[in-house]
Amino acid sequence: MTLATLPSGNPLREGLRLPRTPDRCAIVVFGATGDLTARKLVPALYNLARTHLLPPGFSVVGFARRDYSDDQFREMMKAAVAEYSREPVQDDIWDSFARCLHYVSGTFDHVDAYARLGERLEKQDIAHNAAGNRLFYLATPPNAYETVVHRLGEAGLARGGTAAGGWARLIVEKPYGRDLESARRLDQSIGLVFRERHIYRIDHYLGKETVQNILVFRFGNGIFEPVWDRRYVDHVQVSVGETVGMEGRGAYYEEAGALRDMVQNHLLQLLALIGMEPVASFRGDAVRDEKAKVFHAMRPVGDVERDTVRGQYVAGAILGRQVSGYRDEESVAPHSGVETYVAMKLQIENWRWAGVPFYLRTGKRLPKRATEVAITFKRPPLQLFREMGADNPTPNLLVLRIQPDEGISLRFGAKVPGTRSDVRPVNMDFRYGTSFGVEPPEAYERLLLDAMIGDATLYTRWDSVQAAWELLTPVLHAWAEGASPLQTYEAGTWGPDAARELLEQDGREWHRM
Amino acid sequence: MASDVTAIERLEDRPIPVDPAAIEDEFTRIWRETAGGYDESSVRLRVMNLVGVGAGEDALGRFESLMEVLPQRHPCRGILALVRPGLSRVSATISAHSWRSASGGRNVCSEEVLIFGPPADDAAMPSLVLALLVPELSVICWRLGPEGDSAGVLEGILDAADVLLFDSAQDGDTAAAFRWALRLGGDHGTEPRDLAWGRLTTWRELIAQSFDDDDGPNRLREIASIEIEGGGGRPGSEALLLAGWIVSRLGLTPADVETGGRWLRATLYAQSRAVTLSVIVGEPNPPGLHSVRLRSGRSTLLVEHHAASGHMHVREESPTGEMRAVEQIADQEPPTIARMLDEGRDDVYLEALRDALALLG
Repeated sequence: MTLATLPSGNPLREGLRLPRTPDRCAIVVFGATGDLTARKLVPALYNLARTHLLPPGFSVVGFARRDYSDDQFREMMKAAVAEYSREPVQDDIWDSFARCLHYVSGTFDHVDAYARLGERLEKQDIAHNAAGNRLFYLATPPNAYETVVHRLGEAGLARGGTAAGGWARLIVEKPYGRDLESARRLDQSIGLVFRERHIYRIDHYLGKETVQNILVFRFGNGIFEPVWDRRYVDHVQVSVGETVGMEGRGAYYEEAGALRDMVQNHLLQLLALIGMEPVASFRGDAVRDEKAKVFHAMRPVGDVERDTVRGQYVAGAILGRQVSGYRDEESVAPHSGVETYVAMKLQIENWRWAGVPFYLRTGKRLPKRATEVAITFKRPPLQLFREMGADNPTPNLLVLRIQPDEGISLRFGAKVPGTRSDVRPVNMDFRYGTSFGVEPPEAYERLLLDAMIGDATLYTRWDSVQAAWELLTPVLHAWAEGASPLQTYEAGTWGPDAARELLEQDGREWHRM
Repeated sequence: MASDVTAIERLEDRPIPVDPAAIEDEFTRIWRETAGGYDESSVRLRVMNLVGVGAGEDALGRFESLMEVLPQRHPCRGILALVRPGLSRVSATISAHSWRSASGGRNVCSEEVLIFGPPADDAAMPSLVLALLVPELSVICWRLGPEGDSAGVLEGILDAADVLLFDSAQDGDTAAAFRWALRLGGDHGTEPRDLAWGRLTTWRELIAQSFDDDDGPNRLREIASIEIEGGGGRPGSEALLLAGWIVSRLGLTPADVETGGRWLRATLYAQSRAVTLSVIVGEPNPPGLHSVRLRSGRSTLLVEHHAASGHMHVREESPTGEMRAVEQIADQEPPTIARMLDEGRDDVYLEALRDALALLG
């Protein structure tokens, strides 16, 4: 179910799982022969069609350089769905879905191709009894974003179909710029063609069930919110560990690095969900308003040398297998200075969080693939049991595990049976995977459906993107000038020693994932 | 959020003294032993009580099938009170299911108590069931078949039940089953949930979907006829509930109802506008719903079950209409129940039920 419930004039809708089906529309995918389309987008659309969450009159138009016919594109997509869909292809469902798939060949800067695209969309509006509604998806390399958007504007496609006065929306993949200046330039450029309310900046992390569950956990329970502030929380850690290296993405990564690839979007979004104030409802922009307030309350990283660590992996062993270092990866410069690991300390300067550090870390080639938010609570004010021979109690720890072993655990102290007052930390553990054995939809299914419905709650708004870049661009500049020099770490370890020292200087340590 | 369950193990399956305290002790022992070695953790998950009431071996098989599936969505304590002709006294067995996860640790996700009793001893079983309910959790009662030998057991439990699951399609007298369901709330404060209604979910979603656009309300007002075809020997409860749903949602008033053995016809009025309704038994006639056709002056919407693929086909018969094939939500008993328990109170069902009953006179 979508978080925002939209009014519907359809009396047959009452009591059903969705408040309404999306409007009849066409999705135009730029970069239709690329990896994202094959692995994520078309499998997600097929599964939405299979479970009848797509409207009648729905269609997809793939747009890419290669010269394919509709039938060739359909064959290619069938193979992709067979390989990547969470459910196997069923022939009669595929056949009816495939009739909605079309293809237009053209380069991203070729004016004529957009004219052909426009003609094709107008024809489809008639053939599918569609309403002139268009959802454009930029599944292209980032350097093509502006070109595609400008050409859409020139071709008059950014206003939706003329016949029925339809809408036009744009989904933009990350990265949204590579620093504050380039992000502003990109946004101004896109803003000439699309209004902010029609721009959907996707961060697939926000489509994950367990990320959405952070909101349920916080605001659907009464017992956590009263202790969710500076009076009870000692510090927060947001960690995203990956075991993989470049996997053929070396060229992209050389331009990005861990700060742009992970921190600017995924980690800061998680931080915002942990730090935001309660919303009065899930309608409209309520969640995005509260997240933006968190970003605006973040203190700039004043001492980059002290509060940030950047690292790059060298050869080592992961899961018993020898792996090469970053500089030996394909398409990576032999003397590359790009960071594959970042750790940093941030502060939210508002009434709730003043003085509570938020530590972020992410890296490639770490020992374990895991995404977690760990909230460490303050120790009790009186060390009552120390006087009776017990050690200083371990602080309570609440861990929200996002992936892969999704769940929640709470650590607390319990008395060891016996005559002494020994206290031992124990974990109360809740695992989604073994509590609810059902497969949830893929993040892209949820996010595409929301964009078609017009619910942008799980998409990132420009003010948040801008605030994130305002926070991180000075860090990038300081690094470029030599602050916090690049450290190396062996593949299969938890990052450079400096990351450990970042917390040690505050008398803390990283939560063991 | 993929499931990381690697195995589901049945932990015990053995007779136990018919004593609630002994049964609770035994479950606690199983739970502790499940933790295994020092490094493993074990969690006991229970989000509700499921109480099955029935008679005969078929009811036992259906309850066990549900307990294989239900804990995936609703970890629970399941209690079956089964009347077994030929028994001389009440007996019980217990078992539990544990899920082992890939990342270590186990969850006890279902506890199962089977209580068997003779028809003459049906007063003893409710007291045992009530003593075994996990406090503070909702009680879902499942009537496994028409009332018969187990009527006394069900009557003794109903006051404790928040929800009563039943399948009106299994009753010989559909009108009596509908009336009984409507009385439940008043007599016992129990919310009825009919599996026949649960099997209509895909049908309702596909019909509703065709009227979601801006012109949808206008096209709903233009509907001139509703044709519902089902199987079985007479208009079945699914067909009648679907008719009741359309009637109630569109604010129509039934009049001029005529029934034959294999058909029902009515004229439905919305002020001066008349809509014809026909519910017929088609050929071939496997039970359940076969097709629904809504005709208006401009177009016809056809939703049908495609027997060969098991999928649903939707066709808008208009100049620009096209056929869509979609998956039908599984309508076997266990997944239907699991899905219905995800949902809260359903007033739309109660309104559809009242209008279905009105059609039956």
